[in-house]
Amino acid sequence: MGTYILRRLIQTVVVIALISYMCFYLMTLMPGDPVELMIQSNPRITSEDIARLRELYNLDQPAYVRYFSWAKDIASGDLGYSRTYRVPVQELMGPRLKNTFVLSFIALLTSLLIALPFGIYSALKPGSRVDYFVNFLSFGGISIPSFWLGLILIIIFSVQFGILPAGGTETIGVEHESTWAFIKDRALYLILPVISLSVQSIGVFVRYIRSSMMEAMRNDFIRTAKAKGLSRAVVVWKHGFRNALIPLITIFALSFSGLFSGAILTETVFAYQGVGKLVYDSIMANDYNVAMISFIISVSMVLFMNLLADILYGFADPRISYT
Amino acid sequence: MDLQTQESLTHNNQKEPNMSSPHSSLNEAERKALESALPMWKIVFFQFKEHKMAFYSAFVILFFLIVALSAELITKVTGLDPNRQNVGARYLAPMTRAEATDDIKESAVEFYINQHSDEAKKLAAELRAQKIIVASEDPANDNQDALFTLMTKPTTEIKATLAQLKDVDSTHYSAILKTFSTFHIFGTDEVGRDVLIRLIYGARVSIGVAIMVAVFSAFIGLLIGGIAGFYGGKIDMLLMRATDALLSLPTIPILIVFSAVDLSKLPMIKQMMNPSYESIIKMFVIMCLFSWMTVARLVRGSILSLREREFVLAAKTLGATDATIIIRHMFPNVIAPMLVAITLGIGSSIIYESALSFLGLGIMPPTPSWGNMLNNAQEVIYKNVWLTVLPGLMIFITTVSFNFVGDGLQDAVDPKSIRR
Repeated sequence: MGTYILRRLIQTVVVIALISYMCFYLMTLMPGDPVELMIQSNPRITSEDIARLRELYNLDQPAYVRYFSWAKDIASGDLGYSRTYRVPVQELMGPRLKNTFVLSFIALLTSLLIALPFGIYSALKPGSRVDYFVNFLSFGGISIPSFWLGLILIIIFSVQFGILPAGGTETIGVEHESTWAFIKDRALYLILPVISLSVQSIGVFVRYIRSSMMEAMRNDFIRTAKAKGLSRAVVVWKHGFRNALIPLITIFALSFSGLFSGAILTETVFAYQGVGKLVYDSIMANDYNVAMISFIISVSMVLFMNLLADILYGFADPRISYT
Repeated sequence: MDLQTQESLTHNNQKEPNMSSPHSSLNEAERKALESALPMWKIVFFQFKEHKMAFYSAFVILFFLIVALSAELITKVTGLDPNRQNVGARYLAPMTRAEATDDIKESAVEFYINQHSDEAKKLAAELRAQKIIVASEDPANDNQDALFTLMTKPTTEIKATLAQLKDVDSTHYSAILKTFSTFHIFGTDEVGRDVLIRLIYGARVSIGVAIMVAVFSAFIGLLIGGIAGFYGGKIDMLLMRATDALLSLPTIPILIVFSAVDLSKLPMIKQMMNPSYESIIKMFVIMCLFSWMTVARLVRGSILSLREREFVLAAKTLGATDATIIIRHMFPNVIAPMLVAITLGIGSSIIYESALSFLGLGIMPPTPSWGNMLNNAQEVIYKNVWLTVLPGLMIFITTVSFNFVGDGLQDAVDPKSIRR
């Protein structure tokens, strides 16, 4: 087990390193570099100045040299400076990360709370009217583009009825007299993003919960439990659901990657100040220090969640051995 | 969505047709019908028909494909052009008629005179000769004036006039006439383009790119999965680690980083590309790079189990090369589950493409795609809600249809997974 975790950890770190280098190289291929922006803002710049600036920013070096000097800075704790926001990247990331965590965890929780009862119910009564309906809805959930759902929600709840804010993270310029008022204000801004982010994962979860629950209920020990005269609740929850839970851990972890993908779109649609929006905005604005860091942080988070799931998997199911 | 296909690891799909022992009461013809084995595709088709939603969805897709493929024909018949702007008719509601203003008519006639000067000269001369348009003060410019004056009249009157001048060719003139009064079933967008025709051309781009991506990425997946499954050992481990690593990455951020790349910084590629299709090709390549993994896993799983089968051993003993065994003997056995993966892949490709185009990184305007029609949807919500609703609805309907068809196919090709 220990060697397995270590090996997976090394693999994950290697993947992150490779991804970060690839991303760094791709960023050099994006339109515009820092010096080009300076040239545009200063028409009287001389060619000597340009050469000097390029040297200053190491832009005359090949990409891999720049990557290593950048990586050295990161390792020493210097994340660089944001060109658009004019603050160190560290200061920028903290609140953004918190916002994204709040959004994705609430969305994850919501989708689990909704998907579990539906998935289990339709697994227990396959072929029923409810099963058919749930199946239909989960297909709809999987197929709906989350950003479009967000737009539709804005049209209905903000434009038509005007009951929820169309975007943002919190009401700007308001002093909340209590923590409760602050939470209420944040919650109001979270409702629509959470819905639009949850719908897709609800669809995916329902399908998985249904199939893994059905798989679990087909086992021989379920028949034994039933034959022993155990109550239905015990059979379903203690024998069926506990076995269905094992594959669900993987799905749970894999859904992080989906949630993070969705978060970029949802955050952009709702102008929610999270990491996803930061990734997008900084790439569009050529703010490459911010883009690199926020991208790598989001990818690493997803990868470490996968790692965690693999390890949990071993604990949840003693039948799995790691060699 | 990627998760969905993993669920469908089908190891083999050898099917036995349902043959009951022939009863003595059966006549010759009936027995023959029972004894003859149904071909695979027929069994699949009958099973597929059982899945009602999938069956209806297949018709929806067929309808969309036909409409998308006949986009040019629709343009020809209705005179609607996906790129023609009309500033006088922006944000029109669905089911409204737009009349062109006089200055638009004038510039259209000017364009016509420049483009088809021969026809214009003859037509104008004829108009003068027939005394339909009386000569103006300036005789030097009479050619143009006659045409301009005619244009300002009501449409029905112009048509009647043109019908009167049967022996003069006026096809191009009546063609521009069609564009002056247009009926917009789905309204118009922020520069007055017809939404319906843009949706039709968008269908072509969106579905087309998605199908291409699904097919090509399935091909890549087939190759990588085939090699990994057949050779096993170190190669398998290396390829599958790479597959797993790619699979665990969050798709949209990766796609955003890739599509933000400016290809003109890579001079080699720049020469190869036709700028008008650049964004479509870029989209296609990027999406292919990141959507072959599910198929690779699926194929590897199938090949691993096929490797132990007798017919592979038989082929080996007969001296078949590795390539022959993989391509001739193993691939036919993975085609059915791959078809499912491709269908489901089309659904997710449509969503990814539209998401990227929505962010302004995918297919670049003026080429319409469902995603980039939503690009500035946020700003136009207050002007015309339909501009936001319709393209997304198209994406939704198409994706849901492809997913249903994929699900139906999965049930049909894999007898173990039938749940009904």
